[in-house]
Amino acid sequence: MSLLDAENVTRFYGDVEPCGRCVERTGAEHGRNRCPECGMVVGCADVTLSVESGEVLGIVGESGSGKSSLAEMLALDLAATDGTVAFDAYDGNFLDANYEERVDLQNEHVGMVHQHVGDGLNLEFTGGGNVAEALLAAGWRHFEDVRTRVRDLFEETEVPADRMDDPTSTYSGGMQRRVQIAKAIANDPELVILDEPTTGLDVSVQARVLDMFRRIQREQDVATIVVSHDLGVIRLLADRTVVMRHGRVVETGLTDRVMEDPRHEYTQTLINSVI
Amino acid sequence: MTDDPDHEEMAATTDGGLATVADEPRAVSDLLSETEAGIAGYNYAYLDEHTKREVRRGVLNAIALPGHQVPFASREMPLARGWGTGGIQTTLSLLGPEDTFKVIDQGSDESINAANIRRLAETTADVETTTDTTDASVIQTRHRIPEEVLTDDQILVLQVPTTDPLRRVDGSDDANRRRHAHKNYSKMWVALYENVVEWGEIQISARYPVMVHDRYLMDPSPIPRWDTSKLNDADSLFLFAAGREARIYAVPPHTDVEPLAFEDRQFQVERFDGKRCHRCASTDTYLTEVTDEDGVTRYACNDASFCEKRIEDPTLSKSHHLDDETVAWGPGTPDPLVDDARRETVLDNGNSSVTEGGDEA
Amino acid sequence: MGYVAVKAGKDVIRKSEQLFEKGRIEGEEPNVTVEQVESQFGRLVGQVMSEGGLYAPKLAARAIKQAQGDAAEASFLLRAYRSTLERFDETVPADPDRMFATRRVSPAYKDVPGGQILGATKDYTQRLLDFDFDDTDPTEEWELADEKPESLRNVMELLREEGLVADPDAETDEAFDTTRDPVMFPASRDAVLQELARGETGAMTALAYSALRGYGQVHPTLGEVRVGELPVEIEHPYTGDAVEVTSVEVTESESVVPVFAKRDDPQFAFGYGLVFGRNERKAISMTILDASIQLDGDEPAEDAEFVLDTVDGIDSFGFIEHLKLPHYVTFQSILDRVRTIRERRGLTNVERPEGDASTDRSTPEPDATVTDND
Repeated sequence: MSLLDAENVTRFYGDVEPCGRCVERTGAEHGRNRCPECGMVVGCADVTLSVESGEVLGIVGESGSGKSSLAEMLALDLAATDGTVAFDAYDGNFLDANYEERVDLQNEHVGMVHQHVGDGLNLEFTGGGNVAEALLAAGWRHFEDVRTRVRDLFEETEVPADRMDDPTSTYSGGMQRRVQIAKAIANDPELVILDEPTTGLDVSVQARVLDMFRRIQREQDVATIVVSHDLGVIRLLADRTVVMRHGRVVETGLTDRVMEDPRHEYTQTLINSVI
Repeated sequence: MTDDPDHEEMAATTDGGLATVADEPRAVSDLLSETEAGIAGYNYAYLDEHTKREVRRGVLNAIALPGHQVPFASREMPLARGWGTGGIQTTLSLLGPEDTFKVIDQGSDESINAANIRRLAETTADVETTTDTTDASVIQTRHRIPEEVLTDDQILVLQVPTTDPLRRVDGSDDANRRRHAHKNYSKMWVALYENVVEWGEIQISARYPVMVHDRYLMDPSPIPRWDTSKLNDADSLFLFAAGREARIYAVPPHTDVEPLAFEDRQFQVERFDGKRCHRCASTDTYLTEVTDEDGVTRYACNDASFCEKRIEDPTLSKSHHLDDETVAWGPGTPDPLVDDARRETVLDNGNSSVTEGGDEA
Repeated sequence: MGYVAVKAGKDVIRKSEQLFEKGRIEGEEPNVTVEQVESQFGRLVGQVMSEGGLYAPKLAARAIKQAQGDAAEASFLLRAYRSTLERFDETVPADPDRMFATRRVSPAYKDVPGGQILGATKDYTQRLLDFDFDDTDPTEEWELADEKPESLRNVMELLREEGLVADPDAETDEAFDTTRDPVMFPASRDAVLQELARGETGAMTALAYSALRGYGQVHPTLGEVRVGELPVEIEHPYTGDAVEVTSVEVTESESVVPVFAKRDDPQFAFGYGLVFGRNERKAISMTILDASIQLDGDEPAEDAEFVLDTVDGIDSFGFIEHLKLPHYVTFQSILDRVRTIRERRGLTNVERPEGDASTDRSTPEPDATVTDND
């Protein structure tokens, strides 16, 4: 079994009663994700994928492709409409975990790095306090141990340790992203999910954050799902890549293969437009 | 706690849902005919029986879920909100004519507010009152737990201004109720972590947050840290009531109560290094200081009633009224023999200072 | 020096009560009667009934006299008394359209069915301090048309018929009762309205003003403001018919708010206010707060928890004034913390000379004697 096996993961958005044909009437081949019959928006549907231990899986697509919905569902931040996910550290359908299980899983098994810093960090806390929160929530009760671990994580993620007691709101965007990564890996999770890890950062900062994460990922051999609209990010980090459009997976394969020899028409356009 | 027959009967009539309490004014014209809205116009123990029953139900719920804040429909009382209205509603719902009632405000039976609350209970509930902790069956208190060990015959009703310890980190009760439901206290822990980062140790003075039965984080009311450990595994029942906030919670007898702290930054009580009461010379009680016009600072026992007893008998232990004098109660009950020896030294030397504080267990 | 009393708590209280009473009685002037308060301070009586949550003009007048004109204290007396009363029955829901209005203005329209009734108001008079109250009764010479109070159709109904204003949520079978059940959040709208109806006039005005002043999105147009007598009916225990038992003077207001709740069916949002007595300021403020809370935004006046937690005068004045109570136990604990921290930082604490036990043994009072340290 893989670390994570997702089958038919689906998410609808809308206040309407679904007509029952929303999935078949939307998707890449229809060129839309709003159901023409009932108006339901199909965020993503029938997504089946797997992640092996230590592997980096890239999910690429334009905005509205459903990649962020998928990432949030797999990070247990968003309820799924349908689907089954088997995850190594959980018995049963991962997507059905109750609140308390979710809190535990998120804290100790699945680290999430959010696109918007406010979703991942409490800006009133110090940077160190944000990272400490993950440890404290996992039951750490020895202050000096927490302190040491936080300092190590700051060094690991290349945040100046002398800033760890300053309010997170005073950090630069790049530092905030690094602190999120430090928090995400604090409890040695099996899986880390990065949602648009470079959005909003300067180009030079982007490269350093990605290099830093690639090093940590290799050293710790932590499985990762990286979601991005940026093929460069995917190319740099991902072993395998999933291409999404209109809420559906249109192509899956080794990253090198997808980049060099794209088979789906949409993937070809995507890659050509970058080159 | 014991209802007299009349009391029962009144309760019975209200049960029917039709009649009201017999001696209660029935119409506005009745009220207006009274020149003075005297206590004669009110029910036994002020509150109507329906309300008292509701408060008692709240108390039972609170006992069933130690540390959990139970909402109740707090009534307006003839005391201002924030002046012990939760405490007095709870007290009046429990009192019966056979009870002996004690009120403490900041350690003193005779502070004005304590006297006022005692007066209300005396006139409306017709109970005996006392200032002796060991004689009381119900004690209402603001900000202190008495120095003398409480027994399984006693209920301590603590007045609570702020019910939720999480309000230190988030003002929204809605959000905090969710945290309690899921035992999600990481925000509180981060606050403690940052506190230690900034100050080297935890800076919370009174109102020190505690975990009750390893389940609910609880605000023990603004008692000093000195009193916090008395809540742990006690013989007595502790009820916490907030009128303005409309919440009741409880620590039943023999419940685990643990102050939040780090393994290497332990919970500390107030220090009175070398200080002793200038009246009874106690070194094992919570002291408060007063500086007079000449700049001289004097320390004195805060528990005025126990201080009186210690003046009579300086060797009196905090568990003198129990068979077992070794009951753990607060920060160390000194061994009477050791304590005696030390006291003698002090008195012999006249002005020599005592360097040992109470045994800080 | 303040009150220093070990065993005299009761006496001290009695004395302070007597001093307070003396302030009222000892003047040269004749005592004001409860009846005078009721008939000549009608606005104050209304405010006290509204904040006290009990419609009883005579008791409110008594409370005002007892509190020497302190509205918060008088409302509190009324509420504390109210909480001891058994509940006999519930009224049939009152329809505000059956109100007999003595005053009614509709800022939204120039003219409205039933017409504008200016009624008794100081709104348009010059606020000049009157140095010459005329004690003789000149009213007979005044030509006041004997306008009959009328029962009028609410302007808001016209707008609702046109579909321009959102409908309130359907009423539930049983109204939430905030005097019987604690308010929990998120609170239902009936709970919000009840709490607002008992809110402190000044607090309501301040919070509503905050929404207008820029900390909010509600700048309403008032559909109408009216003052009048609202009949109160109960169900007859035997026949089951609604029987009018009394009437209450109320102020009602409803406002339209140009915020569209739904994109596909744009309609005005709205706010409602109904308070005991003649208190237009509070009724209008209530409409703004009701509308703001329904919007559920991020501004202070839009946060139900914030508004309801702060708007109750009995709660806020009690807790503010409780700070006068002695706090020396907690203060000692705070002193301990600051001294410890200073030591940890290597700062010295000034040691005061300490009173000695052996010389002080005879001093009669324990520390509890000094209680005015706050």
